[in-house]
Amino acid sequence: MKPAVLDYERARTLDDALEWLAAGDGQVKVFAGGQSLGPMLNLRLARPAKLIDIRHIPQLRAIEADSRMFSLGATWTHAEIEDGTLEDPTRGLLPFVARGIAYRAVRNRGTVGGSLSHADPAADWVSTMAAIGAIIEIRSAIAPARSVVAHDFLRGAFTPQLAAEDILCAVQIPRFSPDMRWGYYKVCRKTGEFAKAIGACVVDPRLDICRVVAGALNGRPLLLSRTAAALQQDGTDKATALVRDEIEDMLATLDVAHRQQLAVAVERSLAQLNDPRRS
Amino acid sequence: MLAIDISLSVNGRSVRTSAEPRTQLLELLREDLNLTGAHAGCEQGVCGACTVVVDGKPQRSCISYAGDADGASVTTIEGFDNDPLMGELRAAFTRHHGLQCGFCTPGMLITARDIVVRLGEVTPARIREELSGNLCRCTGYVGIVEAILEVSAGKQPAATVAPAVATAVRTAAPAAEFVEQAISPAKRPASASVAATPSRQGWTSIQQRLQIASSPAEVWTKLTDLKQVATCLPGAEITTIDGDHIEGRMHMALGPMKVAFKGDGNVTLDATARQGRMTGRGRDTGSGSSAEGEVEWHVLPGDADPAAASTLAVTLSWRLSGRLAQFNRAGLVQDVVQRLTSDFTANLERSLKGETASSDLFKPISFWSLAWAILKGRLTGRR
Repeated sequence: MKPAVLDYERARTLDDALEWLAAGDGQVKVFAGGQSLGPMLNLRLARPAKLIDIRHIPQLRAIEADSRMFSLGATWTHAEIEDGTLEDPTRGLLPFVARGIAYRAVRNRGTVGGSLSHADPAADWVSTMAAIGAIIEIRSAIAPARSVVAHDFLRGAFTPQLAAEDILCAVQIPRFSPDMRWGYYKVCRKTGEFAKAIGACVVDPRLDICRVVAGALNGRPLLLSRTAAALQQDGTDKATALVRDEIEDMLATLDVAHRQQLAVAVERSLAQLNDPRRS
Repeated sequence: MLAIDISLSVNGRSVRTSAEPRTQLLELLREDLNLTGAHAGCEQGVCGACTVVVDGKPQRSCISYAGDADGASVTTIEGFDNDPLMGELRAAFTRHHGLQCGFCTPGMLITARDIVVRLGEVTPARIREELSGNLCRCTGYVGIVEAILEVSAGKQPAATVAPAVATAVRTAAPAAEFVEQAISPAKRPASASVAATPSRQGWTSIQQRLQIASSPAEVWTKLTDLKQVATCLPGAEITTIDGDHIEGRMHMALGPMKVAFKGDGNVTLDATARQGRMTGRGRDTGSGSSAEGEVEWHVLPGDADPAAASTLAVTLSWRLSGRLAQFNRAGLVQDVVQRLTSDFTANLERSLKGETASSDLFKPISFWSLAWAILKGRLTGRR
């Protein structure tokens, strides 16, 4: 089915997009790759009066960096990250995650910022950005620019910390050291399907970063702080032994099968930390 | 509805046309340009039957629209008639019985060509992984995988380009520090809420218990004012009460999805047991979805002070059907209803204290702003 009647406008500058969005009275929707919004438009579950296409705004394709951070513009596509079209500050984590998102035809179009803004709890970038401690940069025509830490970005399912007039412009990623190790495991029924459970962990002793995430929950991803503390102090085995308890404790309202999938995903991501191919 | 003028290149030919902005690229190709090779399957980006090459990359033509296709260079399966690699693939698909009904084949071939060009010689496992976005319901994929394997043998992957590096080096400190943020111990989900396991087929329910500093009799009396109670549920509105029959509306927002269920239901109140039950069913015509819901409330003596305080136990149960149910995974709706229930109990508590209910989480669609947007569009002639 074709979408309900809508208008389309292509922005060439970020300022234009922000202005049009602020004037849109909540009936305007930002359109980047359209790979999540498109299906909702076709099903007429979303019926915005107008789409503002931000795919052609050069500013949203900027990459900036210094010795500590790497700022990735919002409209880089998953496939570009998968293919190494841009520098990777995460020692292989971002390209690995990108390759597992949906299907190649979707990755060719779908964007990092779009996926985060859509705020599907099962989306890979939601958990990945939480695990690496990324910071999300937001602009609006009516309020000052602001930053939100990635693990707090979701209020709940499909509900990001974005007002109707906000655009997610960039994601700031720490520039990891050569000692950084990571693990990422997701449970999917079928390749490319949304994950049932995600486990992600990132360790960088030089930057003093040690984070373990359980993702694909009903809302925002969960930082497993006890497991992470054990990982930092006592190593992978001790941390792995704690995962199940922390998930049972923190996510008691989820059904048993979901908790089991989450525990397995996190345990397997921790096991990858010892895989020499990744370090 | 006014169409917009667009120009694009299709199979090497430049095309100028006009189309409504909501027109799918797929429709434009099939209906206007008579290029019926790309097929309309799921129209949700899942099945891959509509895959075409846009600006050199395979993409879904069902979730791209006239406006964003403006200026694009599109190649459909028809545009590969004289492509040598596609010729090899066609012959291999024929040899290996890589198709039966042929519905998926144009998309399969475009994906297959991309696999060979991008990856060169590939393993069967990688082919299957790469083909996960193209569904075939006839062949079981065996012939398709064998055909691609044969054609890929001995081929080199496309040359990789040097990665783009940061274009500007900031010397000033970034907006936020990358010192590991102190992670406060995450809070457990509110202890008051318990997500119950589905009791009936397809139904989900959530229970909440709330302590209120008023006597059970007082709380019960206030709860018999149904219209007032409904104002505590963000997005809900009771329009008519006729005996135990009610009519009303329920607006819900799930990110970009906004639905308005309109329907009716029944209420039963048991003053002796201080138990109430409201059931309803409604339909959102826009999305072709239906919802059935049930709220049960029970006013009990308070835990701390049985005479002067009350415990209110609320159970919300629901079942969705239609496109909304098809689109959503159960847990996501549960998260929304969970937050809705928390809002409801918080508002109810405020209302019982005599304060006004509020919610910034769920803003129902404003009819007037919608009407104004449409009117404005008409007046400026851009629709």
